Amino acid sequence: MLHIVFGEMDGVNYGPSWFKANYHPEWLKDPFVQEMILDVDKSKYIDGLVIDSPVFGPIPPERLSGGVQTLIMIYEKPDLVFNATSCGGNCAKWLLKIGQFKDVTVNLRYLMPFEPSEDLELFIENEKRTIHGFEDYVCTAIKYV
Amino acid sequence: MKGKHRIILETERVKYDFTVRRNITVILGDSATGKTTLVDYLNLYALNGEGSGVRLQSDVPCVVFTGSQMYWKPVLESIKKSIVFIDEDYSFITSKDFAETVRCSDNYFVLITREPLYNLPYSTKEVFGIRTSGRFHFPEKVYHEFYPIYADTPAAYPSQARVLLLEDSGSGFDFFCQALKKTACISAAGNSQIAAKLLQIDRCSPVTVFADGAAFGAFMENLLSVCRLRGHTCLYLPESFEWLLLKSGILRNVLIPEILQAPENYIESSKYFSWEQFFTELLILNSDKDRRMAYSKSHIPEIFLTEQNKRKILDSIPDEIRQMLE
Repeated sequence: MLHIVFGEMDGVNYGPSWFKANYHPEWLKDPFVQEMILDVDKSKYIDGLVIDSPVFGPIPPERLSGGVQTLIMIYEKPDLVFNATSCGGNCAKWLLKIGQFKDVTVNLRYLMPFEPSEDLELFIENEKRTIHGFEDYVCTAIKYV
Repeated sequence: MKGKHRIILETERVKYDFTVRRNITVILGDSATGKTTLVDYLNLYALNGEGSGVRLQSDVPCVVFTGSQMYWKPVLESIKKSIVFIDEDYSFITSKDFAETVRCSDNYFVLITREPLYNLPYSTKEVFGIRTSGRFHFPEKVYHEFYPIYADTPAAYPSQARVLLLEDSGSGFDFFCQALKKTACISAAGNSQIAAKLLQIDRCSPVTVFADGAAFGAFMENLLSVCRLRGHTCLYLPESFEWLLLKSGILRNVLIPEILQAPENYIESSKYFSWEQFFTELLILNSDKDRRMAYSKSHIPEIFLTEQNKRKILDSIPDEIRQMLE
């Protein structure tokens, strides 16, 4: 499940910097990672360390967006807490997808626009409870961000 | 620094064209829209100028902060009359110390962050996203434009407002309580309380929210999320209540309409933290010669409450909003 800590927290990790310093080339071969890159950055993984960007042409992984770099870190290092404020609204559905098959905890310092749905389920660490639905999410989040 | 400043940055691959109008501009929005790329190219230009391969047009220097988190303050204090860009890697931008540095600075700041900056009074009009136009096919050039994130805020709805929720508990609240007969006025007692207060109001009651747009940027995301939840909510976010009084024409100073036409040409960033402060000072300076008119933020003078002046102030509100309130 996706766990969220709202507001400032100590010891949180910054996704883009972690990614640039520590990424493994084999991460890019994972179809799930390739799908995130294609959806958020509109860029297609080619081979090795080459990604095809519609703006810049062939780019290395270091030039992926901060949002995708953070998503990859959350996915690959679920034992660490990353600041998902680097992720824009177009990353929200991917955070939920990662949370469907891994327990991950992220720090959020803004009200991320998850798709309004009664099925939305997240664990809010600040209150130690699972929220159910978009309304519960908004009413809880605005207390902390 | 005063005035608006157009910046055009261009390479063979990308072009950015935007205008900065106030001391604080915030860029946010989806990932992968080109925010960090803009800062990277500005930084390349700062390092190597024309020789960088980046073309930059700006009537003032554009500076990118790239130093250590530990030394941001002396670095920023050493920069004068420039537009300073700070990317989201830097957490100090949420601090009170940074807000104090901005308050006294003659620079303009462009801050890339999704985190609401509650210590900074930035305008709802100066929060931008970046979008691309063009064919979006390498190697053709991609054009990036800034668009106001909050341009499409809910402006009006068909039914009569039952409640006016105001940020203000002073003169603005006094005025609307006395000027509106059919609408109940509620004060949220501060901009940080508006979203929570709106949640408490019966969802069957259509609500208009009135807040000082000049300093409300940080509170918009939460407010809009609550608006989406409850529906039947309209936002009216003029610069400030004092701006509305100035716009009404009650004060007979021929310079006021000219100032309101292009406030950026009169507002020195090192003197006014937000445009709201400037409009309050302008109103006080233009009303204190006549004791009946002397304005204070805590209480509205009687002269603004005559039938004729109430009408002038209400008529300064856009028709579609005013019709809902009256």
